[in-house]
Amino acid sequence: MIKLSTLAIRNIKRNFKRYVMYFFSLSFSVFTAYSFLALLENEQVSNAFIYDDRYRALLLVFGIIIMVFVMFFLISSNNSFIRARKKEISTYSLFGMTNRKIGKLLFIETMIVGLIALALGIGVGIFLSKLTAMILLDISLVSFTGDIRFNIAHKAVYITTLIFLAIFCLMGLSGLRVINKFELIDLFKADKMAESNSEGSIIALILSLLLIGAGYYLAIQEDSFLVVGASIPILVLVISGTYLFFWGGLSKVLHLIKKNKGRHYKAINLISISMFSHRIKSIASTMATIAVLSAVATTAIATGFTLYRSIEKNVYDTVRFDMYFYGGQEEVLDDVYKAFERHKIKILDEYTTQRYKCSPDMEPIIIEGREITFDQENYFRVYSESEYNRLNSVARLNLKPVHIKPGEAMFGYPNMIKGLESKINGKLLKFSNQTLKITAVTQKNILAFGAVYTLVLNDSDFDALYRSGDIVVIDPYGEPLDKVTVFKFENPLKFRDLNVKLVQILEGKTGSYRTAYNHYSESLETFGLVCFIGFFMSVVFILMTASLLYFKQIMAAEEEGHQYKMLRKIGMDMQVEKKVIVKRLFPVFLIPLVVGIIHSIFAMKAADTVIFSYMIPVENSYLTVLSYSGVMYGVYALVYGIFYFITKGQYSRIVK
Amino acid sequence: MQILKAENISKVYGSKKGSKQYMALRNISFEVDEGEFIGVMGPSGSGKTTLLNILGSIDKPTTGRLIVDGRDITGLSKDQLAIHRVKKIGFIFQDYNLLETMTLKENIILPLAIAGYKAQVMESKLHTFAKDLGIMRILDKYPYEVSGGEQQRAAACRALITNPKLILADEPTGNLDSKSGKDLLELLTFINSEYRATILMVTHDVFAASYCQKIMFIRDGEIYNELYAGDDKKQFFDSIIDVMSVLGGEAI
Ligand SMILES: Nc1ncnc2c1ncn2[C@@H]1O[C@H](COP(=O)(O)OP(=O)(O)O)[C@@H](O)[C@H]1O
Ligand SMILES: [Mg+2]
Repeated sequence: MIKLSTLAIRNIKRNFKRYVMYFFSLSFSVFTAYSFLALLENEQVSNAFIYDDRYRALLLVFGIIIMVFVMFFLISSNNSFIRARKKEISTYSLFGMTNRKIGKLLFIETMIVGLIALALGIGVGIFLSKLTAMILLDISLVSFTGDIRFNIAHKAVYITTLIFLAIFCLMGLSGLRVINKFELIDLFKADKMAESNSEGSIIALILSLLLIGAGYYLAIQEDSFLVVGASIPILVLVISGTYLFFWGGLSKVLHLIKKNKGRHYKAINLISISMFSHRIKSIASTMATIAVLSAVATTAIATGFTLYRSIEKNVYDTVRFDMYFYGGQEEVLDDVYKAFERHKIKILDEYTTQRYKCSPDMEPIIIEGREITFDQENYFRVYSESEYNRLNSVARLNLKPVHIKPGEAMFGYPNMIKGLESKINGKLLKFSNQTLKITAVTQKNILAFGAVYTLVLNDSDFDALYRSGDIVVIDPYGEPLDKVTVFKFENPLKFRDLNVKLVQILEGKTGSYRTAYNHYSESLETFGLVCFIGFFMSVVFILMTASLLYFKQIMAAEEEGHQYKMLRKIGMDMQVEKKVIVKRLFPVFLIPLVVGIIHSIFAMKAADTVIFSYMIPVENSYLTVLSYSGVMYGVYALVYGIFYFITKGQYSRIVK
Repeated sequence: MQILKAENISKVYGSKKGSKQYMALRNISFEVDEGEFIGVMGPSGSGKTTLLNILGSIDKPTTGRLIVDGRDITGLSKDQLAIHRVKKIGFIFQDYNLLETMTLKENIILPLAIAGYKAQVMESKLHTFAKDLGIMRILDKYPYEVSGGEQQRAAACRALITNPKLILADEPTGNLDSKSGKDLLELLTFINSEYRATILMVTHDVFAASYCQKIMFIRDGEIYNELYAGDDKKQFFDSIIDVMSVLGGEAI
């Protein structure tokens, strides 16, 4: 018996150049899996996240998606790799090797390379584990100060090894299927008629554009409820449109270019377009999948990044003050002052005021099909102009003071609904012996402190209504309303210990309290995790999809090599050859990337309508979103560019 | 002794559903005895390669039976055919089909290695044939480091090394210059006489064909004529040219 393992090692040595990329992507997959599992095992990370079941579920789902994807990627690139070695494999068969034996040989090769990649991936994972944990904790915790211990996550090593051994076995089986499909006779005409040419279909092209267009149209609707409701149809439309485009539409486009003789009869176009359209059938599904995955990945990362950048602003949009509480002032204030003193943090400003309510008669309004009513339960928090301005001066929002004329009122509502302002403006508020008119509406920065709506009145109107008993200090159930105290102090988002102390003091002794720090760290935990996952997932998707394209092109190069040989015989020079190769390979990387990014741009528009327009307090939040997303698109394009050049180099070498 | 028997071999190309069916071989029957050196000639597209591929079990006939060394191979599975090939048949191709990733030596011993021979046996076999074929000097080189003629010698050596009953050669001189071509033909004649190897060689080169003892002419997938070499080589040469001109085949 020939020692298959000897032959396997030789083959690896001989095919070293091709194996390098394969080895690289395999190691990277292992690294990803290990890092991820090690994060789950890491004590500090689990203390920070895992206690919350939602995060645990999020991490788990993410892990499963990644592993399934990695598995498909590995099997698919392994199959391409085997096809690229068709000649070699057919020669073994020609000289008497049975398919089972060839399968065994390839399996041994996979195992050797795989085990080395496994060791390397885990090794690098261990080496960088401190860094990955630190990145995660750093972007998701406000003030992570602890020292991350360097440790080897035994369970992660164990599970990663098991998962990948299983994947290697699947790769072996799937490789055997590929070999079984080889016909020996193909060895001698592999390059001649490996694939059939497809003219594509004009119907597929138009239909695919219609489907995608319809999806886009739904995604750019202004109405956020409609966009949310249509999210599944949008996905179905765009994804099916994308596949249809690559399956039938793209061939048609190429065919149309071909028919445009003026362009097509230029040698370079003639050669490269013919080669590309010849190849398109085998790569159409890959390109469509990559386009969809790119869209998902770019959207995920752009969303995460935008959310992340908007957190701090969002904290004060919601909480407005560094800290506030109502009720229990007598009991807690002394302790609060002491806490600040002990932590040596200066209080910049503080103010305590009574909370007032009123329930004037006001017609209900109907907006977006929902009725908004005003009654005893849905009452107003009411302020005099001077009190309101004083409170806002303690807030962190840099608002201009408001001025309300006698007989008028400013209305505040926390949920931002489009069209609210015009419906409310001019409405009358009927008190027992006085009527006020709403002349201003604010949707942001209102100080409701437990109520749903807010009113700000002129000081004299406020006094008169208080005297007439319209404005009271008891809630609808007869309980007296507490006073509210607001604070502004130095570095409110920095000191975890102070916050812990304050929470300890306020908890249970006050009616209700909020600190900006709490809100900030909660948002960071969620959004930071989302951002981290988006980032991690995108890195995996980008690298894997790009290297999948690489493998497919390398396989193609083996088959196309002979065409270049012939073309050279009939007089193609190096200059032309270089251009042909560029035109042959560039679209393979460019088209899925561009389709993916365009999808993502529309997805970000939908995300803007649903989330960001409420989060980012600027006129046209979509521009901000696009600018953040653009950074990520750029990174994506850069990675694809690098892979394109690697592929071009390797492809040129093979067809030489 | 009979080494090969083909009975009513036909080959139809194209899918059964598709309209574009093409019959490349029609009911071909013939026999080959041990030690014969047979040439197969015919115009381009007449089915020579198809025939050779079927004889070498690289391709399967659509109908008909093929008996090699007393065994009917028509019904064998892919894996059984692989073993059959390595035991019974040696191939020499127009474009050599050497693996670029292996040295000539490794290429040559590949069939033995696959069949599971011991290292010493492989070495000694390699030694004998390589010496006879005059390629000892270049054994450790890679295919791209040696000339076409030398590559074809190595390929011939690879075909011989398993002591096959039948050597199939498809236009082996097609890519060689006339000097190397002549060397290779002399080599094949030497193999034929020295090792009593049976050789079937496809060629459309009349000069190459004149080395054979017998020529089978094929036209449109059918055997058209057979010629035997007599004592007079010149006369054999002339008769080949006569048949070829009738067939309309070009003598390149
Ligand atoms: N795989 C194939 N599919 C369809 N037709 C084929 C195929 N291979 C060969 N042919 C056709 O069969 C005929 C014989 O081909 P071949 O045996 O290669 O001829 P040659 O005598 O030149 O070697 C030719 O007409 C060729 O076009
Ligand atoms: Mg031929």
